[in-house]
Amino acid sequence: MKLRILLVDDHEIVRSGLRALLERHSDWEVCGEASDGREAVEKALRLKPDVVIVDIGMPKLNGLDTTRQLLQHDPQFKVIVLTITDSDQVIRESLAAGARGFILKSDAARDLMSAVEAVENDRMFFTPRVNDVVLAGFLDQGNGSSGNATPKLPVLTAREREITQLLAEGNSSKEVACLLNLSTKTVETHRSNIMRKLSFHSIRDLVVYAIKNNLIQIEMPSSSQTPTDLTAA
Amino acid sequence: MAVRIFLVDDHPIVRQGLKTLLEGRVGWEVIGEASDGAEALQKSSDLKPDIMVLDVTMPRMNGLEACRLLRKRSPQLEILFVTQHDSPQMMREALEAGGRGYVVKSNAARDLLAAIEAVSQHRVFIALNGRDSANLR
Repeated sequence: MKLRILLVDDHEIVRSGLRALLERHSDWEVCGEASDGREAVEKALRLKPDVVIVDIGMPKLNGLDTTRQLLQHDPQFKVIVLTITDSDQVIRESLAAGARGFILKSDAARDLMSAVEAVENDRMFFTPRVNDVVLAGFLDQGNGSSGNATPKLPVLTAREREITQLLAEGNSSKEVACLLNLSTKTVETHRSNIMRKLSFHSIRDLVVYAIKNNLIQIEMPSSSQTPTDLTAA
Repeated sequence: MAVRIFLVDDHPIVRQGLKTLLEGRVGWEVIGEASDGAEALQKSSDLKPDIMVLDVTMPRMNGLEACRLLRKRSPQLEILFVTQHDSPQMMREALEAGGRGYVVKSNAARDLLAAIEAVSQHRVFIALNGRDSANLR
């Protein structure tokens, strides 16, 4: 029986590239694709893939919360996170969310097959940088340190994070209610709770929080970039 | 005669996606790939592509700089930018650098084929997110 894989990325061109690579393996099949986290959760529950490959920066529901929701529904899902950055924070959050694999988009052509093979065999696959961060966290714990390597539990519930992302993306409470099949009143209650928990007073604070916590990602504006600046991006 | 296309993007996975889309089309041939502007300049000199598909943000040499140098060396070469920058200003810079087409990566699967078709006929193709594409003679 073939290994069934669900691809989740908001760029069709990336999904197309991933599919072309994965389908070189005769025992694997891409059983579906999704362009945001909400669609991914819906399709994963319906298609029951063995492996889900998830981008982190996506509209509506980011990859980290997608991973959390998938594993909450079914801990058997094997999730590989695909990301453009291997910052310590993103690595720690991916591990805490339950990802079994972590690969950089820039290295995907090289690492993708190894990552899928590893999770297929109930192993984990991480880039060398992830191993360093995991080791540093382990050593910190051994030293009794409460330094930066210890993952912090999210202050917000999964539903509150989901609503925070949608509000930070510019949706009104009514639009969020429509997207999540909730009443506007329920969304407004969640919104008040979020603002109270985080001690925020404006939607601007919420947007900054969403960016800092990888709920949304913004592209660098090009206006301030010279061609020379771009080489470093 | 086949349209000879050269792909330049620092993410191999994106190049693979572009290649998959383009190779489905009879009469188009992907003749080479590079992961930055400097490599594109070096590799394309012998291959003589008709169209260069260029990312903007890349290490070593970005797409705008590569475009200027490529156009200077081969004025008949057509350049199509495929980039994540959904920005009118970046689009202007790309056209000023000598690009003939501009497609945003998130819409590449939708716009790429029409863009290649246009620039292969030496027409301008621009498409930003949320705006209608323009195909100019």
